[in-house]
Amino acid sequence: MIVCLAVVGHENNPLYIQSFTESDDALKLHHIVHCSLDVIDERVNNPKKSSPAINEAFLGLLYPTENYKVYGYLTNTKVKFILVTTDLDIRDADVRNFFRKFHAAYVDAVSNPFHIPGKKITSRTFGERVSSIVKPFGLNSAS
Amino acid sequence: MEPDASIETSSMIRVAVIPISDVTPLLFREYAAMLLRHHTVSLNSISSFYTEHQKSPFAHQPWESGSLRFKFILGGSPPSPWEDFQSNRKILAVIGICHCPSAPDLRSVVDQFTAACKTYSSSLVQRCFAFCPGDSQLEDGSVKGSNLILFPPADRQTQEFHMQTMVQDIAASLLMEFEKWVLQAESGGTVFKTPLDSQASLSSEEVIKAKKRRLGRAQKTIGDYCLLAGSPVDANAHYSTSLELTRLTADFFWYAGAMEGSVCALLMDRMGQKDPVLEDEVKYRYNSVILHYRKSFIQDNAQRVSPLSFELEATLKLARFLCRRELANDVVELLTATADGATSLIDASDKLVVYVEIARLFGELGYHRKAAFFSRQVAQLYLQQDKKFAAISAMQVLAMTTKAYRVQSRASIGPSNDAGQTHADGGKVHHHSIVSLFESQWSTLQMVVLREILLSAVRAGDPLAAWSAAARLLRSYYPLITPAGQNGLFNALVNSAEKLPLGTRCSDPALPFVRLHSFPLHSSQMDIVKRNPAREDWWAGAAPSGPFIYTPFSKGEPNNSNKQELTWVVGEPVQVLVELANPCGFEVMVESIYLSVHSGNLDAFPVSVSLPPNSSKVITLSGIPTKEGLVLVPGCIVHCFGVITEHFFKEVDSLLIGATQGLVLSDPFRSCGAAKLKHAHLPSITVVPPLPLLVSHIAGGDGSVMLYEGEIRDVWISLANAGTVPVEQAHISLSGKNQDSVVTVASETLRSALPLKPGAEVTIRVTLKAWQLSKTDSDAAASKGMPGSSVRQAKDGSSPLLLIHYAGPLTTPGEPETVSAPPPGRRLVIPLNICVLQGLSFVKARLLSMEIPARIGEACSMQAQLERGNTEQVNSSERQADRLVKIDPNRGSWGLRLLELELYNPTDVVFEAGVSLDMENTNNQENLSDNISAEYGEPKTRIDRDYTARVLIPLENFKLPVLDGSFLGNSSQNNGTSGSRNNSFSEKNIKAELNASIKNLISKIKVRWQSGRNSSGELDIKDAIQAALQASVMDVLLPDPLTFGFRLAKTSSDDINVDSDVTSCESGDSIIAHEMTAMEVLVRNNTKEAIRINLSIACKDVAGENCMEGDKATVLWEGVLRGISMEVPPLEEVKHAFSLYFLIPGEYTMLAAAMIYDANEVLRARARSDALDEPIFCRGPPYHVRVSGTR
Repeated sequence: MIVCLAVVGHENNPLYIQSFTESDDALKLHHIVHCSLDVIDERVNNPKKSSPAINEAFLGLLYPTENYKVYGYLTNTKVKFILVTTDLDIRDADVRNFFRKFHAAYVDAVSNPFHIPGKKITSRTFGERVSSIVKPFGLNSAS
Repeated sequence: MEPDASIETSSMIRVAVIPISDVTPLLFREYAAMLLRHHTVSLNSISSFYTEHQKSPFAHQPWESGSLRFKFILGGSPPSPWEDFQSNRKILAVIGICHCPSAPDLRSVVDQFTAACKTYSSSLVQRCFAFCPGDSQLEDGSVKGSNLILFPPADRQTQEFHMQTMVQDIAASLLMEFEKWVLQAESGGTVFKTPLDSQASLSSEEVIKAKKRRLGRAQKTIGDYCLLAGSPVDANAHYSTSLELTRLTADFFWYAGAMEGSVCALLMDRMGQKDPVLEDEVKYRYNSVILHYRKSFIQDNAQRVSPLSFELEATLKLARFLCRRELANDVVELLTATADGATSLIDASDKLVVYVEIARLFGELGYHRKAAFFSRQVAQLYLQQDKKFAAISAMQVLAMTTKAYRVQSRASIGPSNDAGQTHADGGKVHHHSIVSLFESQWSTLQMVVLREILLSAVRAGDPLAAWSAAARLLRSYYPLITPAGQNGLFNALVNSAEKLPLGTRCSDPALPFVRLHSFPLHSSQMDIVKRNPAREDWWAGAAPSGPFIYTPFSKGEPNNSNKQELTWVVGEPVQVLVELANPCGFEVMVESIYLSVHSGNLDAFPVSVSLPPNSSKVITLSGIPTKEGLVLVPGCIVHCFGVITEHFFKEVDSLLIGATQGLVLSDPFRSCGAAKLKHAHLPSITVVPPLPLLVSHIAGGDGSVMLYEGEIRDVWISLANAGTVPVEQAHISLSGKNQDSVVTVASETLRSALPLKPGAEVTIRVTLKAWQLSKTDSDAAASKGMPGSSVRQAKDGSSPLLLIHYAGPLTTPGEPETVSAPPPGRRLVIPLNICVLQGLSFVKARLLSMEIPARIGEACSMQAQLERGNTEQVNSSERQADRLVKIDPNRGSWGLRLLELELYNPTDVVFEAGVSLDMENTNNQENLSDNISAEYGEPKTRIDRDYTARVLIPLENFKLPVLDGSFLGNSSQNNGTSGSRNNSFSEKNIKAELNASIKNLISKIKVRWQSGRNSSGELDIKDAIQAALQASVMDVLLPDPLTFGFRLAKTSSDDINVDSDVTSCESGDSIIAHEMTAMEVLVRNNTKEAIRINLSIACKDVAGENCMEGDKATVLWEGVLRGISMEVPPLEEVKHAFSLYFLIPGEYTMLAAAMIYDANEVLRARARSDALDEPIFCRGPPYHVRVSGTR
């Protein structure tokens, strides 16, 4: 189950943080997302020579923490997508697929002429679309 | 669990350093610092202190390369329950530090030290270092043999040398003690126990087990001592044995311990060299260590004690060993595991240590956010302790996290580099600060951190930190804080400030937000103009002059657009407008706010202001420059909430930029309803030495001068030098609209008054002439009424401006000419506020012609009037009624043309109008009469309000003296009669000539008016006159070629001047019938050529008004004298005498006429005749003759 999804701008500014849990752990999730930026920074600054494709946007598992796993995705414009999930065994391919869908949603959201680049994404449509992507994700991995 | 644990920790000899007797903390730290330098003592250096009592168990001790390592524990520590397990946890030596001057009795020092050592039962060596002993203490032999070591007073170097020697001595002693211990342990039956082993009385089974395990544990401990003794090879050998034995006895805990020791031995052996193979080896072994620690977990006593802390410690040790960027992945994994494990730690302090270590390692790895996260965990653990010291620690730890969360206090950023950037490069500064704005969006986290800092600071009793945190919280996140929360912060600020001493400064600004609004420009009274010493008109081109803000010529200077330059003058108050905003829900009382001047050459004046909730205010901050040079005004010093803070303009600027880009939560100024303001740049401000300052004062008040149209008035302007420097140069010029309304400016007066000393005053006269209101103006005035129009006039800015450029001396006295640029000059703008009221208005002009024959015989009957060539003599009239018309009734005015001006007075005052003829610019011929330019209209026409009056201007005066070809064109031929026209005339020529003449004529006519006592002026009616005259200008201007006149011969003289004429007129003769009357006819030639004429004189009796023309006149008597041929020389008069004998008294008319022979072209043109052979007939005006019956 995805508990948190975040979009972080190229200056490490949060553009969108949405948690999908009932409990009041927004702060914790914020911290997790915030801390995962360290790992992304590190991955971006020290790219592994062995990495298969330079164009690979999916950063893979950033780090496991407590009961969560944090996955990252980096777009060409240095916008980071961060996914926090409680599913401990999860296939990378699933996460990758999820990120692709999410990326498309994000691109649509920022293509809105009324969106100011660098500003937080407040579009309700985007939120609905994201939750529609998030819901089946948990089901897929469970099945 | 201990902080700072690393793999090498196992090889460190723990030494407690304790203060003995009274040592001030400062001194203790100083002495300890001397000691701390000797944390590593090479074996080589201690060999001299070492004596081998028996065969050393450390067979492979590397005497050449090895060393002993100390870990000094200041203040000591309580014994650890795990001492047996890890010998490096034992306090093996105690060093006391004593400051002799504060402990006179050495004996007691020794006693105290001995007592202190008792608590360190494990210690093998004890020494007490006593510093700075007095002479008596040095001689005191009673302490000989004790552990007290006196350090004789000496310079630092010597003392350090002593210290080194002593440490080496201790090291040697320790080494010998270790040997002793190892020899004992090998033989003896020491039991090694850890808290992990059950504490209850050992069951038999346990005892057997313990006996089995004893050997392995002993070997491990001996290995530990070998490590401490700096002999890795020996240690390794013992550890190998121990590993074997513990593995066999399944003593996993000790196995792991031995393994740890072996890794340490390995590393020691490699002397700090690191290579991948070694790393892999260490990693492999440590993983095994961790595994075995985990294995040793016993469920039974898990509640009481657990090897978990050792597992975590081992993990941290490995992480520390690997802690490098390249291995970040591994380290992160280890640290994550540690963090996960830490949650199940029982001991809170263990947890604390683990988190501290994790945070440190993450920080070392460059994972600042994670480091911050764990630091925050540490702080939370501290805060749980509910102690003041814990709160202080929490506060300090949180302060370290602020950088990662971008909420750091400005004090920690370091003001030096910040200030340097202020003016260096605007763009880059912005960039930097905007990046931090981006990061500032983690408001959820940031607010939590700041709130925790505030909480911990309050608990720790650090009001300044609390104030700073509250200020940061309030300033950055006010939109996210509820009004109640804002009030809470407000209270926090106030409460903290109460605990702070007065005048405390904090680097973090709170409210209000302060931004630069504008720099008010110098008033036009004090404009500063750059001086161009190379030019006479030094002000030219230096100052922006004229109404245009943008001039294409200034385009070349790139800085002009955004970096305006300001010049301030020493000693003259300056003002800066700043805008304050309080977006919060409580009132902000700014106790004082003033400009912060880093350059130190401005005295700023504080202002106090109160900002209601959600409001903004523009206030004026002022100051006086004190020294010349550049002024930097980066912000304001604000004393608010009891603390003094500095608010920088550029911070708010970047905040506002961020707000426009959506990066910041909200724009504080906009949310307060302040107007949107264009970003105001900080100009570069230069302070120049004192300049002169002229202050102008218009006599009679600075209000506008009310003038009626055309009114002329003098205005007196007094200029005073209010500066401290004399005015040495001054120049007056005009600018603005209606400049021609300034008739004269007495600039000479000003120039002669130079140099104008400070305090001196000069008064100059300016003559103004009010301009004509335009049609629309007067209409508007009419509709609005007078006051309305005057206001409008004043606002229009249609008044001219008097510009005075002035400057002081080129160099300041007493100062050598070091400065290349002279001090600037100044410009004083005096608006001459003229309010023009509608005055006497001109309605229309008409040309009238009057045909009144001259009458001879009333006052001076039959007196032939002298007929002048070009002017008609008019000033001898006696009849008052005729005075305004100015016609001499005796002479007549046949063909007299009058210009009638109709004037209307729409004002509420009475005007008196008079016509004057200004003859000065006519071309003076010698035979012009003397009084030709005399005031024409002595009597004034009074025009009451709302009345119309007419003024007549006789135009005969304007007749040219000579009928000249130049007026008519050179090519004209003349021999025709009147009414015909020569087509060969160049029309254009005529036009041009005429126009010139008309202008000449018109300029002579002046209608002056006067109203009240001191208003007088002139009516501008040129256009109207021109229109009226246009049609018949020829007749008005040009004289007839011949003029005729009659006079009585009896008293006549040849003299043809006015005076004689006047006297003759007064003689009072009359013509009587039946008497021979001698008369003379005077014919004057007005051309420049002689004219031959055939003169005829006719005399008719008068029965009609006009008996000369028309056939209808009933003529009863008529006599004609004809055929008088004569030649009239040019410009001269010829007299022809004749006599008349009247038979019947009555009125007669006399008329002279002449036929001109051989008329030239000029004459013909004048007569407008076309035909060449046409004779030209010339006729004089009729003269009335009254013949009385008898005498």
